[in-house]
Amino acid sequence: MPNVDSIAGLGGDTWVKGAIDKYIFDSLTVPYNSSVKYKYDQFELEYLNRTVVPIKEEKVIPVLSAMKRIWIDPYTAETNSNFFKKYGNKFFILTGSGSYDPATGASTLGLTSDDGNKILLTQLNYFSTKSMAGYKQSDSSILRLFFHVIHHEFAHVFAANVTYPFSFAQVGGNLYTSDWTNVSDLEAKSDGFISNYAQSQPGEDFPEMVSLMLLEGKSGFDKIINGITYTGTSINGSTAAQAQSRLRQKEAIIVAYFKESWNIDFYSLQTRTRAALTAMIY
Amino acid sequence: MKKSLLYFLVVLAIFSSCKKNDTSVFSQTADERLNATLSKYQTQLSGAQYGWKGIVSPAGGGTYSFYFKFNDSNRVKMYSDFDSTTATTIKESSYRLKALQQPSIIFDTYSYIHLLADPNENAGVVATVNNGPVGAGLISDFEFYFDSTTVDTIRLIGRFNGSKAMLIRATSAEATAYNNSGLAAGLLINKILTYFKRVTIGTQIFDFNISIANRTITFSYLDGNIVRTFITAYYYTLGGIVFTNPLVIGNGTITGFSNMQFNGTTETIAMTVNNVASTITGIVVPIKVDIAAPKRWWDFAVTNNNDYWTSFKGFHVNGLDDAYGISRLTSGTNTYYYLIYWPAYAASNDFFGPIFLNAARTQLTLIYGTAPAKPTFTADGRAVFVQLGNYGAHPTTGAAGLTRTKLYNSSGYYFVQTSATSYDMVSALDGKSWITWNF
Repeated sequence: MPNVDSIAGLGGDTWVKGAIDKYIFDSLTVPYNSSVKYKYDQFELEYLNRTVVPIKEEKVIPVLSAMKRIWIDPYTAETNSNFFKKYGNKFFILTGSGSYDPATGASTLGLTSDDGNKILLTQLNYFSTKSMAGYKQSDSSILRLFFHVIHHEFAHVFAANVTYPFSFAQVGGNLYTSDWTNVSDLEAKSDGFISNYAQSQPGEDFPEMVSLMLLEGKSGFDKIINGITYTGTSINGSTAAQAQSRLRQKEAIIVAYFKESWNIDFYSLQTRTRAALTAMIY
Repeated sequence: MKKSLLYFLVVLAIFSSCKKNDTSVFSQTADERLNATLSKYQTQLSGAQYGWKGIVSPAGGGTYSFYFKFNDSNRVKMYSDFDSTTATTIKESSYRLKALQQPSIIFDTYSYIHLLADPNENAGVVATVNNGPVGAGLISDFEFYFDSTTVDTIRLIGRFNGSKAMLIRATSAEATAYNNSGLAAGLLINKILTYFKRVTIGTQIFDFNISIANRTITFSYLDGNIVRTFITAYYYTLGGIVFTNPLVIGNGTITGFSNMQFNGTTETIAMTVNNVASTITGIVVPIKVDIAAPKRWWDFAVTNNNDYWTSFKGFHVNGLDDAYGISRLTSGTNTYYYLIYWPAYAASNDFFGPIFLNAARTQLTLIYGTAPAKPTFTADGRAVFVQLGNYGAHPTTGAAGLTRTKLYNSSGYYFVQTSATSYDMVSALDGKSWITWNF
């Protein structure tokens, strides 16, 4: 009779554990029930036909440590120590390179599975912060992208647990478009969308707003909105004043939603996340 | 009727007397056999006391050599001939064996073997790890399935692209050699600074030039009065290099260069070829000069729409590409785009100078340059350039100044045609400077 214990690979791959595994266990698994897969497994990738290489070992702990400081710690400070255990994403897949479609060359940077539990992070071999050897300020673009992806995906978790007000989608009205890849970020802003991806649908507008507000900080975000000052109208008939107004309305809806549905002071959270980010860049 | 009933009863009896037999062809279950196979491979990999030499042939072409030392705790250390760092600095990473469709080995954290497969980046960040296209890299693998093994060899096939890899059990001497930068010996060729290099094996002479970027070597040798050329890819090995395609001459075969050592005083390399002591020296004049090449180069531009030759990197001098830093040249807000040589630019002179890109990056512009006379094409195959004048305010120093001075060196230049639309222009002064022209 075959012994179930002899079935190869059942229960997952095994290997002799090292310092990285201990760090993951102590920092993420014990406190938050989260796991991190950093050793390459083709079947964890979104696309099986793409060339993706694994992460460099020396990047793993810096990446996870940064994740804690820009994401877990700020939210925990605004809620409580159990918040992340309940709502935090449970599976993180770390990869070293970008993910490029062999047919079109288009890239996908950061992904989440439909239930929001698995987050796939890319290009981590280029991850660098001020405290890491060889850091140059231009490296901060990777760090910003990393921050953006993680906070964007986490915002989906909020929306999935408690729906945000319908009024949010009404602000953008019929300006959402499935052709968002052909819209530039500048054009999107001229219609009152924080990014072209935000203009694809309300379901992405919400996490884009949340993540970019947390990334830019209050003064940075204000500067973006106040910088929308073109004259005349956009292709879709918006004026700069209308674009600014739409962004402010959505900002207000988000702040109210976080307060009323989650008891989170969004502006306080924003101060924390922005401070954590700038400490790693400058 | 009775007979058929009898037959029926007999058949019934036979069938009812069959016993279900569970005995399988194998004495163990599929899982037990899989585990045993994986265990066997693990023992072979980590049991090799001195590690393994590896040859990896990416599906995208080329051959690269490695050294691997596996332990039984999922750790592997390796060297690679990818570049001078990977050849001399051992790197540790992790691996695991897994029963996928076939028993497989996965190099599951980043190391030298991944440099071949790296897709490079052009979104979010721009990075060139290998010179392959973004999204594909060199079309290699880092997950392999076991194809076949003997006691001292393991053949692997890449799971994603089908690259081939072969591991050969290393000896104690080989392991020591790897740990003492033995894999970097072939890179000594870079210490010969001339464009033309000559191998002397007894009385045989071969000239060659080597493309480190493409990992190819082109030989020229005399066969009676005829110059023959032979090109092959190569990879690095302990003590030297190995040609992917051996050079066959007469009844001898040359498979590579071994035991390479550089003599800094004479600037020559001592080595063995088929166990015969040989040398590599730098030479200025190649075995056979393409005497008509300079004029051919000049005429080609005129015949093809009165156009010009371009060079992005400018002069290579004494071992350095873009030795004068011309790629960083600026003029006001304009930035360097490329260097051009324009034959018959005017009725009585050519044009040589940098072309700039404007600040808006919408237009190429000519700001200054020098006006050489039509070059003299010598009987021994050189072009000699002489200055007639200048255009604009030509700098006398810096990258532009140095480049101009270099062109007018009185020794002139030999030309080597490398393709229908490219030539290398090599200094006849010492052979240690050259520039590549493209059309």
